[in-house]
Amino acid sequence: MPQVKIIAKNFMDMVASLPAIKLDLLYRNQFICEAILRSLPPLAKKYVLQMLYIDIPITSKSLQEWLLADGSSKHKVAIDRLIQLRVFEVIDRKKETTYKLNSTFQTNLRKHMISGGILPREPIPQSVTARLPTSEELDAYAHEQWECFLLQLISSGQAKKSTSFSSSMMRIFQRGLLRQRDKEAPRLTESGFQFLVCIMKLMALLPLFCVCGLMDPYTDKLNEGKIEIGSLSWPLYLNWKTLMQLFFCHFVARLFILCSDFHVLVQEQGVDQADLIAFLLELSFHTPGEAYSLDTLTDDQTTMIKDLADLGLVKLQKGRKESWFIPTKLATNLSVSLTDSSSRKQGFVVVETNFRMYAYSSSKLHCEILRLFARVEYQLPNLIVGAITKESLYNAFENGITAEQIVTFLQQNAHPRVAEKIPSVPENVTDQIRLWETDLNRVEMTPAHFYDEFPSRDVFEAASDFARMHNGLLWEDAKKMRMVVMAEIHMLMREHLRGQNK
Amino acid sequence: MASAPSKLYADDVSLVVVLLDTNPFFWSSSSLSFSQFLSHVLAFLNAILTLNQLNQVVVIATGYNSCDYVFDSSSDLNRSFENGRMPVMCSSLLQKLEEFLIKDEQLSKEEPEGKIKSSLFSGSLSMALCYIQRVFRSGALHPHPRILCLQGSPDGPEQYVAIMNAIFSAQRSSVPIDSCYLGSQNSAFLQQASYITGGVHHKPQNLDGLFQYLMTIFATDLHSRSFIHLPKPVGVDFRASCFCHKNTIDMGYICSVCLSIFCKHHKKCSTCGSVFGQAQSEAASASDKKRKTPET
Amino acid sequence: MASAHVTKRAKYKTTIKDPGTPGTLRMTFEKILFVPHNPKSAGKLDVEFRYIKGQKHTKEGSNKPPWLNLTNNQNGSFIFEFENYSDLQECRDFVGKVLAKGGEVSEKPTVAYPDEQLSAAEMELRIKLLQEDSELQKLHKQFVLSGVLTETEFWATRKKLLDREASKKTKQRLGFKSAMISDIKPSTDGRTNKVTFNLTPEVILQIFAEKPAVHRAFLSYVPNKVPGALKQFFSSSSWPVNNDPIMSERTFWTKYFRAEYLHSTKNSIAAAAEAAEDEELAVFLKQDDILASEARNKIRRVDPTLDMEADEGDDYTHLPDHGIFREGNKEMTESQNELYKRSLSQDINRHAAVVLEGRAVVFLFENIHVSLDCICSMNLNVDVELEDTKAVAEALAQSKQKSSNKGESDGDTSRERLDRLSRMTEIEDLQGPNTLPLAPLCIKDPRDYFDSQQANALRTSGDALGGIEQIKCGLSTQEVYGSLRESISSIKAMGLKEPIFKPEVAHQVFDALTNSISNTKYHIGKNPQESVLDRLPRKTKEELLHHWTAILELLKHFWASYPITTTYLYAKVNRLKDAMSNIYPQLEEIKGSVPSELRHQVSLLVRPMHQALDAAIQHYEASMQKRSAQSGERPNGYV
Repeated sequence: MPQVKIIAKNFMDMVASLPAIKLDLLYRNQFICEAILRSLPPLAKKYVLQMLYIDIPITSKSLQEWLLADGSSKHKVAIDRLIQLRVFEVIDRKKETTYKLNSTFQTNLRKHMISGGILPREPIPQSVTARLPTSEELDAYAHEQWECFLLQLISSGQAKKSTSFSSSMMRIFQRGLLRQRDKEAPRLTESGFQFLVCIMKLMALLPLFCVCGLMDPYTDKLNEGKIEIGSLSWPLYLNWKTLMQLFFCHFVARLFILCSDFHVLVQEQGVDQADLIAFLLELSFHTPGEAYSLDTLTDDQTTMIKDLADLGLVKLQKGRKESWFIPTKLATNLSVSLTDSSSRKQGFVVVETNFRMYAYSSSKLHCEILRLFARVEYQLPNLIVGAITKESLYNAFENGITAEQIVTFLQQNAHPRVAEKIPSVPENVTDQIRLWETDLNRVEMTPAHFYDEFPSRDVFEAASDFARMHNGLLWEDAKKMRMVVMAEIHMLMREHLRGQNK
Repeated sequence: MASAPSKLYADDVSLVVVLLDTNPFFWSSSSLSFSQFLSHVLAFLNAILTLNQLNQVVVIATGYNSCDYVFDSSSDLNRSFENGRMPVMCSSLLQKLEEFLIKDEQLSKEEPEGKIKSSLFSGSLSMALCYIQRVFRSGALHPHPRILCLQGSPDGPEQYVAIMNAIFSAQRSSVPIDSCYLGSQNSAFLQQASYITGGVHHKPQNLDGLFQYLMTIFATDLHSRSFIHLPKPVGVDFRASCFCHKNTIDMGYICSVCLSIFCKHHKKCSTCGSVFGQAQSEAASASDKKRKTPET
Repeated sequence: MASAHVTKRAKYKTTIKDPGTPGTLRMTFEKILFVPHNPKSAGKLDVEFRYIKGQKHTKEGSNKPPWLNLTNNQNGSFIFEFENYSDLQECRDFVGKVLAKGGEVSEKPTVAYPDEQLSAAEMELRIKLLQEDSELQKLHKQFVLSGVLTETEFWATRKKLLDREASKKTKQRLGFKSAMISDIKPSTDGRTNKVTFNLTPEVILQIFAEKPAVHRAFLSYVPNKVPGALKQFFSSSSWPVNNDPIMSERTFWTKYFRAEYLHSTKNSIAAAAEAAEDEELAVFLKQDDILASEARNKIRRVDPTLDMEADEGDDYTHLPDHGIFREGNKEMTESQNELYKRSLSQDINRHAAVVLEGRAVVFLFENIHVSLDCICSMNLNVDVELEDTKAVAEALAQSKQKSSNKGESDGDTSRERLDRLSRMTEIEDLQGPNTLPLAPLCIKDPRDYFDSQQANALRTSGDALGGIEQIKCGLSTQEVYGSLRESISSIKAMGLKEPIFKPEVAHQVFDALTNSISNTKYHIGKNPQESVLDRLPRKTKEELLHHWTAILELLKHFWASYPITTTYLYAKVNRLKDAMSNIYPQLEEIKGSVPSELRHQVSLLVRPMHQALDAAIQHYEASMQKRSAQSGERPNGYV
């Protein structure tokens, strides 16, 4: 059995990281089975489909027979994924690896193929709800909620123009922020500040990451090393890492706070994570724009749905007697296979060879993202004009954004007009961005100590030998008897020289 | 923005246009019952829709006298989630299919005797291509389209020209035509369609397991086909139908001007009106002319 | 040596009975020229010698007058009656000489390139095509260089290829330079305060196009050296033309550049002062009134349905977040000198408009090779021959006139013109594809044929090719439709059964499919695109494919040359036949060279080639026999 290391990179990864018993429980829900199926890489989908009605284990060899020469890596990814999610059960027999579909999963999926799923609740008829928001209104609402929250996150560190974002979402955010020191007064502590800086950095990276990683469901372009910013070693880190990775997985899925919220909730209120996931996935199969009664929800779900409303996943409304929730497209998009790029938005950035950049967007968030690495010169109602300058890039590099990320961001978000061209971003620009980055790395800083005025050549040579022995000699000038030694061995060196003097 | 096939969704999002053979003459003699066939196909359609939220399925019924759209998963009726699920989708499809059959029957009052009882494959193929063209032009992003023909009735040689034209236009717009032949013989049209457009042609050996064939072979999206081995028929029947009597022929005459095919020598080309030279009296010359067909 | 021409008095007769037209006959190596004495008579003749095929003449001493009869290749003839036999003699000898020479010349190309007059470009194209396509090159080498086919024959079947290449040429025309005229930097020698401007016709044209006022001034001030017709035209033109020319061209340009210079110094006070002194200079310094009126016209032409609301909202400059962040150096303008200031943005706009409009005018005068290096200096006299400038100016006026006439004649045409303009300004290499991209049709891969051959060979073992299966159907139409509907309603009632089929069947099917996949992998190769050919050794495969294309090429030419109507075709068929019979041993050789286990495959592949060649040779022999049977007739293999 292959060693599966679970690194939560997106929502489905988080599902995959659940313990086996919980996963099996999850698979009792038809919607989760369907959502899981959708999240799989194409080849894995095919494997599940062709084994849907086969009860006997299938040898891995017979699956591999179907592969062309260049398909083996995809095969491996698919199989690993299936095993991770416990959709495939591995049975080793006589040295041969065989696979079998998880029987709960199989039965549920079969049922789904035949009869389709039936939601636990029916939409409330129009007669009760009267006028419901149109889909445009809902979209606008969802979008607004989301952007508002993100902007809040981005700008809260820069300037203290914190608006009255007093929703429970922000409270959770603050709860998370001050969790470590909840005995203290609610102010930004040192670690809290550090945390904010970290958030800032994360926020700077996230949009870049999220587009970088979306492209190929089979490769994972995210480098772990790049995530670990600063020396964060406190407990929340994990949660925020998950958060960030979720963000990474799907910019539009807008899920990340929820998941961090889960951790908070799970830890504080003992809400079962699996229940939450199940509810979320179930939610995704509701019809956007239809009203569903709140009475049909369990208590846990009712608490959750309020937070979801803050994020724009659902809209809550109250009628005369009962209240209901209306799922927005954000909610129904949750089950879209998060790894595929189908939801990729149209690009909006045009970069010219003269380093000018035109972004057709009215989003403040886009503007902020661009500001991270470019000088925004002026802003028209639907157009942001900026320039990529050395200074702006140095700014970005200082924040830990790499040239590669910037280039990928520009390429992934290229306006459809220029996206057709190859390259979508002028080569001279991309080259220059990379050059400017390497410029910064031209000088390597090593703390060191400088020694001179040695009493005699012997002492000098002995000292240089000593330094060399400890791998710490950086430079020497034998004529003038001077040398530079790394700071680490300075103490040793001093000892050594003292010994010499004696 | 002008839409172009280059703006497809990236991965495995597919649009499958299924051409259902509803030729009553075939189904009355087939070993696979029509209800069994339908249940396999319905489950298959459901599976395709389950694979990806953005997947789209269109079903066109190929009748004996007519053809018509019977299901479109993107139409407003089916857009919503539960409605698109099995019960509603299934019943609406069956309802439309029934209506279609009634209409089809009304069109064929006179008893066709001695004629080959083939379905109107050329019509449904053209409809499918029209639908796909509309999708191509509709917007910036669209799924990878492909056509799946589920056919059992024999080829109608009189449709040869129309079908070949449809096949070539499918090839031009890079739409693969998959074909699954359920009859006892094999269909030259389907073989050629799949061969020319780069689709898969398969003739299931065990019709009871049709669903398994559909899932294993025909559910494979175009993205995955680049690294998956799919069954390849040994050899393709390249035979053509003559334009004059609509017979399938091995050797024949070809108009050197418009490439029309004839089984006998004619004085004049019926398609373009070119006057042919005198036929040679020797037996040898006839075979000479035939030899020319494959080469030019 | 014979002289290069002969001139004699003669009468030209169309027929023998024609009394004839008296005139002068002049013959050169190239042509025959007959000019009648009476210019009004119709007998004028101008024939090129290469159309003349032979000559007949009357003998001295016979009772006929001295006639020379020249026959042309359309079996027509020209008869000339000379005054005496010695004239006839001279002409006869001359014609004989020319015909002999022409024969030599025209004989040679018919051997290799009949009637081939290849331009260098065409030749280049062919060479390029050969270089790009190694297969084509191989064929070319094999057949053309060995003399089986001629160059023309080879390319005649590939006209499409040549056409396609030719059509790729760009249709884009050269436009105005995007550099502005204000970029014409005067050169100073540094010692004196002499400033020199270099004027080229291009620059002049641009100045005229961008500054209609200068253009008008030029037309009215500079002496009009153009002949009457044009002058007439100008008097009718829309602009009042000053009839008393008062300036030479040199002074004109000097004044112009003086004005420009004043502009460039941005000294509006000085400009105003100078303008007050010099009326003509003022013309250049003032705002261009023609432009202003044009602009007004343009505004009138703007589509009123255009939504102007959007523009109102565009004024964001007063908002802090929007607008251009600029250094705060605002220029204060002096209102009284406003008249003599031109803003840069006006210049830029005008320039852009002219560049976009294109330079159709230039093409009117492309054939005028204006070679003038007009050097106007501020205080230096230079003689300039500027007649051409004048021509340019007038042409521009003419085209302006045309377009303005058009614009006035019909209100709709102005919009049409705008449409055309917008279409014209689409530069083709910046345009996206208008239609959906299409995959090229590709059905002529010779491998397809091999595949089907292979299939046919294999199928003989399997099910018979078989005709169309007739469905045994004892039921009536009504019954069959009824049963179909029944099964639908049964599904509707029952819903789908779970499971829809037995898991064992699923497993069986899957195993069978997996088996067949691994089998075909073994048999046909690892790739579904691979065919029998790919299993042969690389060399054999290439040879086979090459032979196949070679045979196709030969057969194409062979069959195309029937029916044989000329000796030329006859010779060609013979050549082709020889070439074809040479292929047989080569095919045998290939068969022999492959290992025994593949020999069967190869012979399967070679068989269709054999059949095709056999058929051709059989046909050849049959037609040869026929020909020898009717040997008295002209060679015509096909009845």
